[in-house]
Amino acid sequence: MLATQRLGSITGRGTSLSRVKVEAIDYGDRRVYSVGAFNRGVASWLSRLPTIWVEGEVTELRRQARWASVFFTLKDPADGACLGVSMPRGQFDGLRLDLADGDRVHVYGRPELYEAKGEFRLRALSLERFGIGEHLAALERLKQKLAAEGLFAPERKRGLPFLPRRIGLVTGNEAAAKRDVLTTITARFPAANVLVGETYVQGPRAAGAVIETLGALCREPEIDVIVVARGGGSFEDLLPFSDERLVRAIAACPVPVVTAVGHEQDTPLCDLAADARASTPSMAARLVVPDLTDLLQRLDRARGGLERGTRRTLDRERRGLERTHERLERAPRLLLERGRARLEHAAGRLRALSPHATLERGYAIVRSEGAIVRSSATVEPGRHVDVELAEGGFGARVEETR
Amino acid sequence: MTDAPTFEAAQRELEEIVHRLESGEAPLDEALRLWQRGEELYRLCRDRLDAAEGRIEELASRAEAAKP
Repeated sequence: MLATQRLGSITGRGTSLSRVKVEAIDYGDRRVYSVGAFNRGVASWLSRLPTIWVEGEVTELRRQARWASVFFTLKDPADGACLGVSMPRGQFDGLRLDLADGDRVHVYGRPELYEAKGEFRLRALSLERFGIGEHLAALERLKQKLAAEGLFAPERKRGLPFLPRRIGLVTGNEAAAKRDVLTTITARFPAANVLVGETYVQGPRAAGAVIETLGALCREPEIDVIVVARGGGSFEDLLPFSDERLVRAIAACPVPVVTAVGHEQDTPLCDLAADARASTPSMAARLVVPDLTDLLQRLDRARGGLERGTRRTLDRERRGLERTHERLERAPRLLLERGRARLEHAAGRLRALSPHATLERGYAIVRSEGAIVRSSATVEPGRHVDVELAEGGFGARVEETR
Repeated sequence: MTDAPTFEAAQRELEEIVHRLESGEAPLDEALRLWQRGEELYRLCRDRLDAAEGRIEELASRAEAAKP
């Protein structure tokens, strides 16, 4: 075995390739390294790791004019894990970040071992404050990108089923949101069938866990709609719901999704991709099931209207029929009266043509022995004749004939 | 009356009869015959309406009974 070992080249910015020789001392069958050699070797190994971004809160910032570097501790706000960071003082001062304890930063750098003390730390190459403002800006960029892809387009939104066979509910196992959704659904539509998928809704694992639960619920039969509910929380708490993967998963979900995450003011991006968004978990419940009582009342009113409408139609027909019947009854009498009047008229004309009417005009009828006298030749003087007038008559004797 | 007509058909025929009678064009014999027919149609229509009303009452009371 060779007593020397070749370790990789240092890949720092602009450094030339160099090899580190780590020499071991052999004591019979035991190979031993000096502290310096060990540190050198580890340092060399660490320097081969890639440069990366690390996020944390600044604490214990130490800066002295006589030091070449500025030191601070980067702390993970979630679990308190700590990481020492060093940065060249001139570079740090040049950024004019005016950092205070607790400020959130993104550090770009690579792991480093301070060989003299065997201290592991992150050598910062760049440093950026990453406050809410920067965060919002990053989210805004993501939002623009997804919007440009059409993920939030209104025409992509699907309608929610009127009465879903089964409802999927993605929620944390924390009581509030789940309870709100379930109580409201049960109050509105007692027969509703809800399948609850409990998952992480907070922390770095949340986005992946929610995606997984969403997928699992979609594979269940008869799921017609899925509610993703989380009862509000801080800006950081809601970050998983703006995760690009989750936003895409919601947009791609085969059944309509209703989200009830967070508040009105800072909308998580998943709300924009959902088919419907609710301001609270109980509002989401109101969107996915109809209110049974309200439904029954409307049905009742419709039935009432049906009955009233039918009765009105019947009344109208009845009145119409009665009017027609009255006309029917009147018609033959009118006809009869008209017939009678015509008869009277005819009788009048008949009477007008009778001799009586002629007598009325001043004529007289002369009869001799019952026969009408039409010629003077049929009578002789002294003959008795009867004279009929319009009114009455008299007997007379013929004086002479002409 | 063979082949009972529908309510609407009976009503239409009744109205035609009334119209003909009112116009005075029908001779007396025909008028009498028309009147008789009209009365038949009137009774038929009224029976239909009575039956419909009975059915409405029946449905309404059944709906009332079904209320929770």
